[in-house]
Amino acid sequence: MDRYCRRAGALALAVTAATATGALAQDYVIGVAVANSGGLAPFSQPAYDGFKFCVDEMNASGGIAGKHPIRLEVRDTRSEISEAVKFAQEFVDIGVNFIVAPPDGDPTMAMGQITSPAQIPTMTFAGTAPILTSVGEYVFGSYPADNQQAAVLGAYAAELGYKTAFLLKSPDAAYTQFGPAYFGTVFEANGGQVVGEASFTMNQPDFSAIVTTIQALNPPPDVIMTSAWEPDFPAFIKALRGAGVTIPVMGADVLDTPTVRGLGEVVEGVVHTSGGYPDPGSAHAEFNARFEAATGKVADTNYVVNGCDILGMIDAAVQAAGTTDAAAVGQALAALPETEGIMSSYTFAGTDRMPMRSVVLARIEGGEKVIIRREMADPATMPAP
Amino acid sequence: MDLILQQMVNAVSLGGIYALLALGLAVVFSIVRLINFAHGEVMTVAGYGIWIALASAWPVAAAVALGLAVAILAAVSMERVAFRAMRGADVTTLLITSFAVSEIIKVLFQNGISARPVPVVLPAWMSGTLDLGPVRIGVIALISILTVALSLVLLSVFLRRTVMGLAMRAAAEDFPVVRLMGLRANHVIALAFAVSGILAGVAAVLWVAQRGSVDPLMGAAPVLKAFIATVLGGLGSLTGAVIGGFVVGAVEVCLQGFLPQSLLPYREAISLALIIAVLVWRPDGLWPAEQTSRS
Repeated sequence: MDRYCRRAGALALAVTAATATGALAQDYVIGVAVANSGGLAPFSQPAYDGFKFCVDEMNASGGIAGKHPIRLEVRDTRSEISEAVKFAQEFVDIGVNFIVAPPDGDPTMAMGQITSPAQIPTMTFAGTAPILTSVGEYVFGSYPADNQQAAVLGAYAAELGYKTAFLLKSPDAAYTQFGPAYFGTVFEANGGQVVGEASFTMNQPDFSAIVTTIQALNPPPDVIMTSAWEPDFPAFIKALRGAGVTIPVMGADVLDTPTVRGLGEVVEGVVHTSGGYPDPGSAHAEFNARFEAATGKVADTNYVVNGCDILGMIDAAVQAAGTTDAAAVGQALAALPETEGIMSSYTFAGTDRMPMRSVVLARIEGGEKVIIRREMADPATMPAP
Repeated sequence: MDLILQQMVNAVSLGGIYALLALGLAVVFSIVRLINFAHGEVMTVAGYGIWIALASAWPVAAAVALGLAVAILAAVSMERVAFRAMRGADVTTLLITSFAVSEIIKVLFQNGISARPVPVVLPAWMSGTLDLGPVRIGVIALISILTVALSLVLLSVFLRRTVMGLAMRAAAEDFPVVRLMGLRANHVIALAFAVSGILAGVAAVLWVAQRGSVDPLMGAAPVLKAFIATVLGGLGSLTGAVIGGFVVGAVEVCLQGFLPQSLLPYREAISLALIIAVLVWRPDGLWPAEQTSRS
């Protein structure tokens, strides 16, 4: 009997010692749905790179809230919504603490319909459609929403003296359909007029017919606005400029890529919104340098730094909740007051879980992104989702 | 009137690229009964070849030559590595093999180069326009139309005036008899893939020039349109493929240009409905092959 007592005592002592040194600290499990291939891969890969880089850094200093090592459950959706839905269910079954969804509103909403009822906070890597949070109270955005961007860009277009605008939309995604619509709403509220629209299909082979339609407008519009992304935007702008049309073009944050900037003369002067700009000496610039030094990859889009900011948001929410319980963290995240981020600060409190973040207005000049200004959208002028 | 003329130019420009791709599909199908859905990836390979050459400061002509060369190499390699082992297999097996080849190449590009499109910057003079009467045409669109016309003429001469061209046409008619005549099947089939590679390479040059970027999924959409064109023209018919390509291009441009705004989101559905209607009217296509093969 004494022998059993001694063994039990030794075991209890060992457990106590282990707990005291943190060896048995509970892992914080994050389910990550990435898109390593398919149409979302150009945005998902850099976002995941930034996220993973900061997860490794955070784990080196103890993990989430300094005490919960982060364990990632990573799944590749191949940009398929059906795959995203499958993984959402898997993450719920595993019992992850938090989920990061692909960088688009549509798969995020599809996942949120499963994860939100399970009270697992689910944040998109970079989806900006403000309607994405409407599927459940545990679904979150991370980037400035389309209506925030439109509020800034639409007002800027009017400020430049543009009176008429032509919108190029695609019904294939909430982003490409509603982004230009929000712009049109703000533009008209500022005295402008939308004089025409065209609709394209994602990966549309040819834009010459649309360009001819724009050429036929008399008088021509003062500005063209689109939320088309790659490879559609390069195809459109090439066709537009190739037909001799010099009407100014404005676009959304998705144009903030080296591919678009690398298109040469045809994109000269294109104005677009962005989530951030690495001012010299800023935390953003410092992050970019640290990331490149550690990974050998250039952080040439804001999706990289935003991936890191997502981890910061999770960390802030866990600290605010004082627990790793998924539902409590979700509620704490929804109530986060203005918090310092690397790309920009973010505020969830008082929003519908699309964080208020500053929007950068930028112009492409000589293949470089040149900042025009940085401003916060006025909620009073933001079109309703 | 000017608007209609302008849209006609657009239709010819787009239809020409579809015709080149459809012809590439038809050349292979007519001989080995394979609809090669990896044909679009041959185009992608050529696109990356052009990108690498231009990024290395090669002259445009040399970049185009490299694009064509890698397209031929890719098409012939595809035949040697993937399709030769499947020769004689049923249509479904061949189809699945071509999808597999297509997916493998896409993923290799996405993870080996970049999932993001890479920009291809051509000389500034290629972004200019020319005024031809009431029609303003872009230099690239004009080059596209002329290149398509030249390619079709050269292919026609090759098929009609050379021994290998004659062998390919004969193989398309009756392959077993061609083999009995002493021609080596491997050579004829490899040549068919090489020709399809050249056509995909030319299409890639025009595509990249018009769109300004190359991405791993670049060939997926056009090869689908080319497939529709080959079915519309008549599976296995080379003339039908060209006709089908121009018809699909014209339908797309006309719907995009003249549909009311409210119907534009249904453009693809209307386009396919029209093509189905044509196939109901002529089930073997607009210009069927002598020996029609329908699945």
